[in-house]
Amino acid sequence: MIKLENIEKYYANKGLKSYILRHVSTTIQQGEFVSIMGPSGAGKSTLLNILGMLEEPTYGTYEFMGENITSLNERKRIELYRNHIGFVFQAYHLIDEMTVAENIEAPLLYKKIAGAERKSRVADVLDRFNMVAKKDLFPNQLSGGQQQLVGIARALVAQPSIILADEPTGNLQSAQALQIMELFKKLNEEENITIIQVTHSEVNAAYGTRILHLLDGVIKEYLQVVL
Amino acid sequence: MFRLNFKIALRNLWKNKGYTFINIAGLSIGMASCILIFIFVRYQLSFDQQFENKDRIYRGVTDWKSANGNVDATQGVPIPFAEAMRTNFPQFEKAAAIRASRGIIMVSDQSGKVTFKEKERAYYAEPDFFDIFNFTWLAGEPHGALSKPNTVALSEEKAIKYFGDWHKAMGQTLTFKKGQPLKVTGVFKDMPENCSVPLQVVISYVSYDRANTKSWSWVSSNSECYLLLKKGLHISDLDNAFTKFQSTVYKNSNKGEVQYHSFQALNDIHYNSRYGNFSGKMMEKKELYGLAIIGAFLLLTACINFINLATAQAVNRSKEVGVRKVMGSGRKQLIMQFLGETMTITLIAVLIACALTEVALPYMQNLFKEEISFSLLEHPVIFLFLVSLVLVVSFLAGFYPAMIMSGFSPALAIKNKVIVHSGGLGLRQVLVVVQFAITIILIISTLIILKQMNYMRQKPLGFNPDAVAVVAMPEDSLSKIKYDNFKARLVNMPGVNDVSYFDTPPSSNDVSETDFSVNGKDIKDFQVRTMHADVQYFNTFGIKLIAGKLLTKSDTTNGYVVNEAFLRRMSIPDPQAALGKLLKVDGAKARVVGVVKDFNDKSLHEEISPIVISSNKTNYYNVAVKMDSKQMLNVIKDVEQLWNTTFPDDVYSGQFINEDLDQYYATEIVMGTLFKVFSCVIIFISFIGLFGLISFVASQRTREVAIRKVLGASNFELVKMLNGSFLLMVFLSNIAAWPLAYLFIRGWLSGFAYRIDLSIWPFALAMLISMGITLVTVSFRSYKAAQTNPIDALKYE
Repeated sequence: MIKLENIEKYYANKGLKSYILRHVSTTIQQGEFVSIMGPSGAGKSTLLNILGMLEEPTYGTYEFMGENITSLNERKRIELYRNHIGFVFQAYHLIDEMTVAENIEAPLLYKKIAGAERKSRVADVLDRFNMVAKKDLFPNQLSGGQQQLVGIARALVAQPSIILADEPTGNLQSAQALQIMELFKKLNEEENITIIQVTHSEVNAAYGTRILHLLDGVIKEYLQVVL
Repeated sequence: MFRLNFKIALRNLWKNKGYTFINIAGLSIGMASCILIFIFVRYQLSFDQQFENKDRIYRGVTDWKSANGNVDATQGVPIPFAEAMRTNFPQFEKAAAIRASRGIIMVSDQSGKVTFKEKERAYYAEPDFFDIFNFTWLAGEPHGALSKPNTVALSEEKAIKYFGDWHKAMGQTLTFKKGQPLKVTGVFKDMPENCSVPLQVVISYVSYDRANTKSWSWVSSNSECYLLLKKGLHISDLDNAFTKFQSTVYKNSNKGEVQYHSFQALNDIHYNSRYGNFSGKMMEKKELYGLAIIGAFLLLTACINFINLATAQAVNRSKEVGVRKVMGSGRKQLIMQFLGETMTITLIAVLIACALTEVALPYMQNLFKEEISFSLLEHPVIFLFLVSLVLVVSFLAGFYPAMIMSGFSPALAIKNKVIVHSGGLGLRQVLVVVQFAITIILIISTLIILKQMNYMRQKPLGFNPDAVAVVAMPEDSLSKIKYDNFKARLVNMPGVNDVSYFDTPPSSNDVSETDFSVNGKDIKDFQVRTMHADVQYFNTFGIKLIAGKLLTKSDTTNGYVVNEAFLRRMSIPDPQAALGKLLKVDGAKARVVGVVKDFNDKSLHEEISPIVISSNKTNYYNVAVKMDSKQMLNVIKDVEQLWNTTFPDDVYSGQFINEDLDQYYATEIVMGTLFKVFSCVIIFISFIGLFGLISFVASQRTREVAIRKVLGASNFELVKMLNGSFLLMVFLSNIAAWPLAYLFIRGWLSGFAYRIDLSIWPFALAMLISMGITLVTVSFRSYKAAQTNPIDALKYE
């Protein structure tokens, strides 16, 4: 589903190139659960941003679902966001002025889904996440774990084929983190959703099917997680 | 989608209550000012628009050009003008003469007892006048009603006033100026206020005693002629024929002064103060433009507030933008969302503005003395204006912030790393400078306008107008006989100091000028203004004699008193040298007996004219009563009572001369008030915006302030740091505003012959005011920021 070839990213500063990513090539299949690991500054987030089309690589080609999208026009990118990609953030990034239900509904609005179906899908997701009672609360009335659940629910409601998660449990306590990772695993296994997460934690990484170690912008090793 | 965005917009506004209040307060006050200006301009532009033929109606007007370049003009034309147009210019479908005349209207019952009398302006009009202007006739019709002598048509209002009910008015009689009884043969609907021909009492033109005058040299502003151009013709088509016509009419004029006529379109009458009109209401188009510009400026400053606060807050919303973008929102959708939010604010503001307008409307009507309407039903164009106001303001205020915010890169926005205009000369700074430059221009203009007004009020006029009342006298020969006796009784009244008969008060727009000769030699360069008064005139008005003696007591002209301006124009350096010169003015020969000190004989817009004063009882139609200022109000009542018993058939009208003088400056008084109000409004808008901006900057820099404080900065140093850029911006605004304000105010002052000297002080004062208020506004907030405990600011890091 994803094919990176020789991706490079550097910033030129006064003639000096400072590399973030070098010669990154990898292929990720539909239904994989990949964890990107590495120390701070290794280029994990940049790689995820490139995967999420939030940043463009300096060199290299990126194929998403068989289509070269290295330089994609905005309309096309928005189409991908609406239909195929869901984001989950470390700091949840819920919209503060919207209630839980409205936050979850928002992506469907952009997908131009009719009102009745929207309502039923939101209700469905709320039900699945056991948050029906909290649907009219605002984000700041929820705990961090609950907020992240909403964040994931929001990413899921549009039925994406891939979820990109940037340290989804970074701000959470371990019990909550565990819950989130279990959820990811379940989604991956039961619904065949591709998941790519950036994480610092070996434990979290172990939930995935594959680990990608980055060091100074270079892929050091692949690890196939054996269950 | 829209509903949700609207809900979110409201929640957002509620979350930032402070900024929302600033935005809505600024916008609604700015918009209310705009609405008031708009309805006023709309009212002014509606003048004479109710007439069906409005685009084909013209008026003949008269201009004079004298050899020394003096020009003068009047709305009047010679009496034969209308007839000449009818016979010589078939291009006109209709031509109608109309003559205004003021006098006593008396209504009597069967027994001859007077049931009603009032002093009113009546018009002698030809029936064709009503073919040109369409009036609605309730009874009778113009050609039937006004073709015979001694007939009169009344407006509904007057008919009710005179006879109780307009249905009863038909066939009744009334008298005008104690003349022949006039039979009421028509009643027409009242004219609206926005009309330059406000006829109420219309007498048939054939009843006018001078209707058949053939003289082309006698021109009075009371005799107008209206013309209806044939369809499909253009008024310039007549140019050649009309020039030829004039040269035949005025072929014998060899004087230094040339009299000529031209056609003025009805659509120009209300907007051209050169000629004047019967309603006395005029509004120069350039004043309307001036008002519109001020309105636009007020709105602009309010929009600038909005833009500044919105871009300042943009960073806070960057996360939302980022998230929405990765959820699949297009830039366009974000722009629409932000514009929608702006429109929500604007809508709330416009509703408040409408309420403010309703509150302010009576004050404005009072100021302009006009019935200005804010009825959306009556004038749908006002509704249209409100809608376009909302759209324009939403777009002006919302577009730039929407562009900025929707343009955030999502990768950066999500990490809260967007930077809006860091360092350098940001748009925000430029906008603040523009906003304050406008504010300061208005402050400077207001200061100078008020100073000039004050100057005009306090400038010694060369005569003393205090505690002098002028009462109009009946001019018929029967009343004239009673003059001496009336005067004697007035003089004996307690509290009366002096009494004088005359034609015009020392300062008056009622000017009659004429040619004259000195020692038998005709003077061609200039005309003199003539005034007629008895000897007490000088004492009553406190006019000072500097050479010779005053007039001797006489009913006819036996000597002339001239003023200094006369000597200057005649190049006579020594007042004594002027005494004894033989003047011939208006056919009356007499010697100069005295010279008086100059007094301002017109408004201070104009120079003092050369004046000759002589006694001539037949010309007197006013009496001035100089009173003891302590008993003024009682004395004036006694005067009125005595007048009414002496002249029972007439209507008393008197006025203190000071009130009369105020009318010279009616426009300036209105303008001064407007400037005062609008500069308060703009100061409010600008400073409330500044307060919002400093609040924002203070909260943005809390961390910096805390760190500096930990490093040992004092409160004073922190306040100084936060204030610095704002004071600099306001200072720059001053620098930018000064030359513009100077140009504007110099232009305005040049309209006054007597004016204050432009000094640096109003400019310096405006700077002081603006910097002072800035300092207070900004320090208030920055002191609060400097005082916060650094731990509060730093602990979240």
